[in-house]
Amino acid sequence: MLTEGQKKLLEELKNNLAKSVPEAKISQSDYVLTGYHLEFSSSKVGMRRVAKEMRSRRFNLETVTAVDFIDSFEIVYLYFNYNQDNIRVMVRIRVPKDEPPFTVSAVYSEAIWLEREVYDFFGIQFKEHPDLRRILNPDDADYFPLLKNFGKTTITGEIDDMLC
Amino acid sequence: MLTMKTIDDININERLYQLNLGPQHPSTHGVLHFLLTLDGEVVVKAEMLIGYTHRGHEKMAENRIYEQFYPNSARMDYLSGMIFNTGYCEAVEKLCGIEVPKRARYIRVITSELNRVASHLLGVMDFVMGIGAYTPFLYGWDDREIILDLLETITGSRLTYNYSRFGGVRVDIDQTFCDSARRFIDRMRERFKLYNDLITGNIIFIKRTVGVGVISKDVALDYGVTGPTLRGSGVNYDVRKSEPYSSYEDFNFEIPTKEEGDCMARYLVRLAEIEQSLRIIEQAMNNLPDGPIRADVPCFITPPAGDCYHSFESARGAVGYYIVSDGTRIPYRLKVRAPSFSNLFVMSKIIPGHFVADLVAIFGSIDVTVPEIDR
Repeated sequence: MLTEGQKKLLEELKNNLAKSVPEAKISQSDYVLTGYHLEFSSSKVGMRRVAKEMRSRRFNLETVTAVDFIDSFEIVYLYFNYNQDNIRVMVRIRVPKDEPPFTVSAVYSEAIWLEREVYDFFGIQFKEHPDLRRILNPDDADYFPLLKNFGKTTITGEIDDMLC
Repeated sequence: MLTMKTIDDININERLYQLNLGPQHPSTHGVLHFLLTLDGEVVVKAEMLIGYTHRGHEKMAENRIYEQFYPNSARMDYLSGMIFNTGYCEAVEKLCGIEVPKRARYIRVITSELNRVASHLLGVMDFVMGIGAYTPFLYGWDDREIILDLLETITGSRLTYNYSRFGGVRVDIDQTFCDSARRFIDRMRERFKLYNDLITGNIIFIKRTVGVGVISKDVALDYGVTGPTLRGSGVNYDVRKSEPYSSYEDFNFEIPTKEEGDCMARYLVRLAEIEQSLRIIEQAMNNLPDGPIRADVPCFITPPAGDCYHSFESARGAVGYYIVSDGTRIPYRLKVRAPSFSNLFVMSKIIPGHFVADLVAIFGSIDVTVPEIDR
């Protein structure tokens, strides 16, 4: 399904990303099932180097988000190349809860708001972020709503009863 | 032409003052709050304060099964609810590997494109009304009303549609629907001349929009701008072409682009997109295949563990649903990439140096919906 241009770009990306963050795991993924072509996962913080590499190839930063895995956070960056080959790259890092990563807002201005949103909902304090404040929740809120221990429900049990 | 002042020209020691525009203001499309620092009538710094309509859709998703999230999806962007609703179903179908029947995919395209026309009509007319032309607004709403009535016959609602289902759609469309849609298309094509006379050639409109609020390609990339706003800056990117979903690969249509990047360019792109949408609807209705409208999908789905990202084009730009599943009936995490969120942020970059009155023009031409930003 991949065109020649896409294959070439994927190869180049793999090599360059492996060079800039040597400890990362980089693999090609099934686009039809997952919606992204390349998956980059790492436990080390090297997001700014990755972002610079992406920016130099004119990738668009689609979104930044996080997933709360109880013992750690997974921070997800999605890059999409709309200028040439329509390649989507998924970059994810696992960080301990007390060790936030550096911001990429110096590379992509869009990240200023996107990372503010992640801070607002997860309490991840990106290092060197220029404007880390609440964005959607009230300024004086003392909670982080998308953490798994916020507002627990017992909905699973209810559904099982309903289906039986 | 208006004279532009840049930040460098302005002596900060001059008397600067702050102005709150919104959150209750007719030209801020709902509850958006601008905090402007002004030098006379020129904006020096613009800050957007959002979150007034935050309802926590992403948290709600983590507390309900996949089927219960259907109605939430259309309530994010209430102006193109059908597109959001369809997109959510397609994201979960991708996660589960559900194959959707061809007829259902065509119906999704028809309804989504009708919704896109309605949304663009409102976007354009609201923009024009924001800068002082009240008459075109009424004509535009007249046309939009026909679409809302048409969609009401199959969905039962006028704005917050709950029509797509995992594996297909809820109700089949019949001959009456197609005939009404054809009549609408004929009528709409006649109306473009009227709109051009009323708006495009209007000297006041031209003076208010040409050269105002220019977004360059680099700024658009830096701020992640998508949709008609990006295409008004000369970038040929539309998710319907670059990653065809539903069955957009079957249809002939063009992506209108303009190089100028100003308010006028964004207006013209939207008007041209309405024409292209009409083309798509016509093709889809002419080639509408027979067959079932829904795949054989269990009442309650249980996606396998994993994650997927599904991108689609709403009336405002590239939307994305990122879903993480842990193998249960409840999403572990559901993230919505809202195009208006990024499109709005670019205003803090382009507004400084413009007059307050131009802010309303620029804001209208970017066409954001606040409930989608706040989620």
